[in-house]
Amino acid sequence: MAQNDTLVNGWQPVIGLEIHVQLQTNTKLFSPAKNQFGEEANTLVDLIDMGLPGVLPVLNDGAVKQGIAFGLATNAEIAKTMVFDRKNYFYPDLPKGYQITQLHYPIVKNGVVDVEGKQVRIHQAHLEEDAGKSMHDVYDSESVVDLNRSGVPLLEIVSEPDIRSAEEAVKYLKKIHQIITYLDISDGDMSQGSMRCDANVSIMRPDDKEFGIRAEIKNINSFRFVEKAINFEIKRQIKVLESGEKVEQETRLYDSVKDETRSMRTKEFANDYRYFPCPDLVPHEISEDLIKEVKDNLSELPEEKQKRLMEIHSLNEYDAGVLCADKSTADFFEEVAKEANAELAAKWIIGDLNALLNKNDVSLKESKVKASNFSKLIQNISDNTISGKIAKDVLDEVWQSGEDVAKIIEGQGMQQISDEGELEKIIDKILADNISQVEAYKSGKDKLFGFFVGQVMKATEGKANPGLVNKLLQQKLG
Amino acid sequence: MNFQETRNNFRKKQVSAKELTEESLKKAKEKSELNAFISHFEDYALARASNIDANFDEFKDKSLGGIPIAHKDIFCTDGKKTTCASKMLENFIPPYESTVTKNCNDAGSIMIGKTNMDEFAMGSSNETSFFGPVKNPWGQSLVPGGSSGGSAACVAADITTISTGTDTGGSIRQPAALCGITGLKPTYGLVSRWGMIAFCSSMDQAGPLARDAFACSALLNAMASYDEKDSTCSKRESIDYEKGLNKDFGKLKIGILKGIENLGISEEVLNAYESSKKILEQLGHSFVELDFTELSSGICSYYVIAPAECSSNLSRFDGVKYGHRSEAKNISELYLKTRAEGFGDEVQKRILIGSYVLSAGFYDAYYRKAQKIRRMIKSKFDEFFKDVDLVFLPTTLDQAFEMNRKSTDPNRMYKEDLLTIPANLAGLPAMSLPNGFSKNLPIGAQFVGNYFSEELLLNTAHKMQEVTDWHKMTP
Amino acid sequence: MNKIELKNLLFLARLQVKEEDQDKTIEKLQNTFEMIDQMNDLDLDKFEPLNNPLELTNVSRSDEEKNRNKKEEFLKKSPKSDEDYFVVPKIVE
Repeated sequence: MAQNDTLVNGWQPVIGLEIHVQLQTNTKLFSPAKNQFGEEANTLVDLIDMGLPGVLPVLNDGAVKQGIAFGLATNAEIAKTMVFDRKNYFYPDLPKGYQITQLHYPIVKNGVVDVEGKQVRIHQAHLEEDAGKSMHDVYDSESVVDLNRSGVPLLEIVSEPDIRSAEEAVKYLKKIHQIITYLDISDGDMSQGSMRCDANVSIMRPDDKEFGIRAEIKNINSFRFVEKAINFEIKRQIKVLESGEKVEQETRLYDSVKDETRSMRTKEFANDYRYFPCPDLVPHEISEDLIKEVKDNLSELPEEKQKRLMEIHSLNEYDAGVLCADKSTADFFEEVAKEANAELAAKWIIGDLNALLNKNDVSLKESKVKASNFSKLIQNISDNTISGKIAKDVLDEVWQSGEDVAKIIEGQGMQQISDEGELEKIIDKILADNISQVEAYKSGKDKLFGFFVGQVMKATEGKANPGLVNKLLQQKLG
Repeated sequence: MNFQETRNNFRKKQVSAKELTEESLKKAKEKSELNAFISHFEDYALARASNIDANFDEFKDKSLGGIPIAHKDIFCTDGKKTTCASKMLENFIPPYESTVTKNCNDAGSIMIGKTNMDEFAMGSSNETSFFGPVKNPWGQSLVPGGSSGGSAACVAADITTISTGTDTGGSIRQPAALCGITGLKPTYGLVSRWGMIAFCSSMDQAGPLARDAFACSALLNAMASYDEKDSTCSKRESIDYEKGLNKDFGKLKIGILKGIENLGISEEVLNAYESSKKILEQLGHSFVELDFTELSSGICSYYVIAPAECSSNLSRFDGVKYGHRSEAKNISELYLKTRAEGFGDEVQKRILIGSYVLSAGFYDAYYRKAQKIRRMIKSKFDEFFKDVDLVFLPTTLDQAFEMNRKSTDPNRMYKEDLLTIPANLAGLPAMSLPNGFSKNLPIGAQFVGNYFSEELLLNTAHKMQEVTDWHKMTP
Repeated sequence: MNKIELKNLLFLARLQVKEEDQDKTIEKLQNTFEMIDQMNDLDLDKFEPLNNPLELTNVSRSDEEKNRNKKEEFLKKSPKSDEDYFVVPKIVE
């Protein structure tokens, strides 16, 4: 992407993202409590997650392996030795009054991801524990705290300020989403908070030597909002600078309802996290053996999957690429293609199914369309049980109800008519009823062939096997 | 009352666990003016004693079978109040058990109560307890030392034969010395810290207090265990310290400090130290003079690191999940009031020091430098232990002092820990034993050993106690 | 240390000292720092910081669940809770 494409009113935006990803371990980072979203409040709280006096953390090696996997997938350096630090601050959903994180010796450093041909560097990715959740709408004058999330392992992925536009930021975020879901280290669900994003935004003149002063925007919880929030912030900073004022280095909150960022009320005193090495934990050396073990068990990455789909299912590069953009789609395709024709499956997923998903703004996982059922749909198309036109109706029905494809076809009599005798009768009747058109056709009006096909389809409610209709009509019209 | 005899009598069924427990509870009551206890668990203790008697065969060979014990109120006890001598935890009942108290239970001991201490173990005189100061059994106007003052007083007053303590900068050894008993701070990582309320995580270590080395070895046998719940706990084969008392470690080379007379140690303490050296010589040991000019820098390092870690460790006391909460209109006020009301002055002071030395711009000047001193002191000891088996030095600068005396001069109080702190900084085991008397008050001296040399420490102390009587003196 | 620094520090540590006692607190702290500052005379260049005496490494556990949750009991420990949550005065963002 050429730099001047990204200029806004002559200003160059400079963006870096800090992405928090909840890891999909069985248990929490430092406690053996279950790591699970959506359970009853305060039922996944261990003695350790509650920060009781006298409790001590013990590192979950599952989280370490997932961190290494991310490092491998981003061509990063994996730390020889990583160290956990305490970040001290007070908040009701932070039970110990400090968060255990990694400041100087993170598990992953200096990675890079390819975002449509542009390299975005990852400064570091470090392991840390999530806080609990406080909610403010249960009571009028009080807030409540749920500690189920307290201690859930997070991988915080910090990019270098390599991003130059809001659009590019979204692409980078989607790339990270793709990597973590392919690695199966996170479900990356932004609506549930398992992937969260803060953006550091500044602007500068293209020929400036130094970056401008940046603002950190927090609380951006969807891909769409990332773009909106950054664009708002760029415009805000331009306005500030062009009116001769200075951008303040501060933390701003994105409000998706008002579509604006606003300054988080400056605390009475600046925060000072007083980091120091956590004395309850010991340094963790990551051996070549462990890295190899993780590497050997590494899930397939998007590029690999794309290549494989092209080879096994003879898909073209474009189709394979579209399918592999999202792991759940690619997995869905593979499931469907086990029984059904792969090319046809790819066509229908990329075409009609994707259209439905986009139109209704739901994910494949959330939709009622299941792979096994969709596979039946494709099979019915390829063995001519239903026509493509009917198939669209069946898909609509599946989308609405999730009903079994076979049942829909049978129940509504949607099977294609491929019985020659039956079709012949229908065609004979149509030819008899339209003698003048038959004459006209025979005298050279070839275009009328379509008219006869249309009549047959009309008479059969679209269920006639089109190939067969063509063949029979040609025979009969000579 | 002597631990070994008591246990023998129990094993021979000459006395029941119930009788021993009744006796301890009675004495605790008689000596309540010492204020050695924060909680008594009479009903629990008697029921447990009866249970032990009823299952005598199961308990008779255990290292602490049938023996009443008092635990420092820093160890979490499941379902039983644990206060750390703070208003903050005045009514706190933990939902889980510390490894130390669990191990002691498993070894057959009977907890009769939880002992008084300096608030959150911060102090050297037991005057910072929210529940009032502990008095020294040797003189009621004197301090027992701290922070395990209640546990030391409890043994010195013969309420129990054994008690547990914790030692971050001398909190087992110093009160042991001031109360005329024996106390061991094990190697950092020998005893699990799970369930022990943290003061300074990288130095806190639990250990035994008792009249003599024999009882300490039996109690250490129970306390020490590898614990996967404590990441800083050392995984190693367990040693039978009691058996180790009978081993012959031969003639030892013992390190003594050059220029010890210049450290501000009282004449009485120095005299006792000199006579102990003679006894060690008579036992066949020899001395090597060590140059340890770095010794006093330990205090600087300690009073940076310990407050730093404590400022973070004590952040969890915020009035949200447990413990004291002050009335407040909003969350910010809740924190400020809860913590200002819930913590005593000394604790607040250390939190402030700790927050300061960790804050932006000061980390390198204070915290990092203190950690370097720590390395220096550890290296120094590593060097010493190439030449010597043990280092021998007084435990304290002086004997038990009057209450309120040193609290008016806090730096004087901090310097009280001069001789005990180096072992904590380096994580080395150290053991204090009574080695003299003056003005009818006990004096203590300590051995510092190499990592995991508890067996040698206990053995050496035991051999000394076979030829001396200081540990048998009672108030 | 002046009063403004003390106030910053108090806020950082979430502690309060009455206005009239603040001078005394400053004096106490300065007194301690006088002692601590003696370490400035030492040459420590050749020493690496020591965080933990045994310098152990690699202590971890396998990713297996153990349920020690006691929701009701945990919530009861709180000075204020309802049947599901810990309750605190309103947090204003």
